[in-house]
Amino acid sequence: MSTDTPTSTETPADLDETDAGTESYGPDDGVLVADGITKRFGGLVAVDDLSFAVEKQEILGFIGPNGAGKSTTFNCITGVYPPSEGTVYYNGRDVTGSEFYEMVQNGMARTFQEFRPLEDRSVVDNVQISLVPDRLFSTSGLRGQTRARAVEICERVGLGERLRQLPDELPHADMIRLELARAMATDPDLLLVDEPFAGLADEDITELSDLLRTLRDQGTTFIVVDHNMRGLLQLIDRAIVINFGEKIADGTPEEITDDPAVRKAYLGSED
Amino acid sequence: MGGETSEAPTADEEFEERTLTDILDPRGFGWLTRLGLFGLLLLAVLPALQGYGFLGIVVNSTLLANITGAMFFAVFAMSWDMQSGYTGEISFGHGLFFGVGGYASAILQAQMGLDLLVTIPLGMFAAGIAGLLIGFPSLRLQGPYFSLITLVTPIIIIGLFRFAPDVTGGATGLFTETLTTGAVEGYVVALALFLGALVLFLAITRSDAGIVLTAIREDELAVEAAGLNPAKFKLFSFVLSGLVGGLAGALFVHTYAGGFVAPSDLLALVVSIEVIIASIIGGIGTITGAAIGGLFLFLFRVYIAQVDLTVPVIGVPIGEIYFLLFTVVTLVVLFFIPEGVITRILVRTRQRAAAREEEDGGGGGGGPDLATDGGWTEGEPSNLERIVATFTEQLRAVLPGFGDDP
Repeated sequence: MSTDTPTSTETPADLDETDAGTESYGPDDGVLVADGITKRFGGLVAVDDLSFAVEKQEILGFIGPNGAGKSTTFNCITGVYPPSEGTVYYNGRDVTGSEFYEMVQNGMARTFQEFRPLEDRSVVDNVQISLVPDRLFSTSGLRGQTRARAVEICERVGLGERLRQLPDELPHADMIRLELARAMATDPDLLLVDEPFAGLADEDITELSDLLRTLRDQGTTFIVVDHNMRGLLQLIDRAIVINFGEKIADGTPEEITDDPAVRKAYLGSED
Repeated sequence: MGGETSEAPTADEEFEERTLTDILDPRGFGWLTRLGLFGLLLLAVLPALQGYGFLGIVVNSTLLANITGAMFFAVFAMSWDMQSGYTGEISFGHGLFFGVGGYASAILQAQMGLDLLVTIPLGMFAAGIAGLLIGFPSLRLQGPYFSLITLVTPIIIIGLFRFAPDVTGGATGLFTETLTTGAVEGYVVALALFLGALVLFLAITRSDAGIVLTAIREDELAVEAAGLNPAKFKLFSFVLSGLVGGLAGALFVHTYAGGFVAPSDLLALVVSIEVIIASIIGGIGTITGAAIGGLFLFLFRVYIAQVDLTVPVIGVPIGEIYFLLFTVVTLVVLFFIPEGVITRILVRTRQRAAAREEEDGGGGGGGPDLATDGGWTEGEPSNLERIVATFTEQLRAVLPGFGDDP
């Protein structure tokens, strides 16, 4: 894992006096900092006091078995819904409870595990929507300005041959590419990718990993979620493993695969 | 009024930047657009053709008055389509806007003696404010709440009017001044409104806002994921729709309705429903479909009521059961052309253009605004089907026993 990012188990953490025992992060510990995120749905605690930080230009793996709270954490971070407790810092600013679209405008994009294409329009039109400015009066799309850019992004993710097709004609791997293209089109600094490798063939995984690495080299930070470690461990610089909404391990891919807690909670059952 | 280019640009052309002048250059228009423009031209010169007749239709003041009413109704339908057809948030009570616009202007004139040139704009803004008051809280909610709120609001307003019959005229209505005298003047006012609304709505739905509004109809979360605020766009389309609907309502009262405003003309549930039917027949989410559907529906209703025939077996004159016939015809159209007449024509034309292009060795399909002008591919669900599917899904989510929530 060649990177310029720290690969130590612990990112610099200021221990919070009121919360001794659990680690805590300040706003400047990374480009994205989650501090004590808790999400409750009624009596169910989906995410329990989860803290982590993401360094700039890092590819962070976010691993956990199904139902571990990965997507809930994503939703709390991106503002799809607010966390019950805890703080999210993005670029040093407290952004807890911001609306989802505001987070996207601030440079945080995400893909969805259950794909959310606009079924009524072609692949390139799906990407183009991410290029439309959030203004009521704008004609950039009409005049073809955003069009060329949308085509370029489609070609970049490997959808160049499928510009005109409707989303329901796409095979699974291309749906993942479309999700990624739509997120990339918002020009994000931080991209949260949900289950990119699920159901992909090995060559698709390699191709997608190469694309993510290229984007990282150009300045994008990634958090990649997967419940399956296949393909993921080769891509990521560092991983966080959660189970039952709690962080159980944090470290390089080697460290987490050797971690007894991870093996117990995860690998034993999954592999 | 096929207000869009029907030819599919080739792949190379399409990615070039176009200036607004390029887009508005009539030489680039397809035959559908030209046909639409010819229709508009015909509407514009019709008053000058008084006394002439062609194909058995004589241009007289009755015809002009009927078309005046039809143009008002078409504006009502377009204002519904601008909001409900594009965002998929179905308003079942658009009559509220027509009623608020018409009543606000009429009451201000009749009770306070203000000039019509003041009260008509005030009526328009009153409807816009009504849109803001209803839309701001209800459009933020996911689910069928918006539809339900729009359904009951006009009924509440009609109920409130009964409490102050001195001011509002109660259930019977209220007399006020007229803006125009004679059929031609009323026609000109309606034509100006019709053209203005058509151009405004087409400009907005064919710009980027149209892309966003149709995307909201499809998936709001996906719109948010693109960094766009769906609530802002939904409220914008609702308030804009209210402003135009309110202006149309106010002008309707002071011209076509002869200075008389009654709940049955504007506020009644049947008005709101007819507006929806007109848009569905023409094609939801197209604006042009609502315009043509509105014109057609109004004239059809007027002329079928005048048919002097008796239905053979049951011995009832057609004039008495015209509303039944009208709904039957509507159902027949819906059955055979569920996506709407204009949508069907557009799609057929596009397919032919695409086929021709393929023969020429060119690539590509429809233009970039395929979705925003009701573009639809054979075999895919139409706009109407999509909206209905979403709506039933939302209803299912709030009805106990059908819940798919965890």
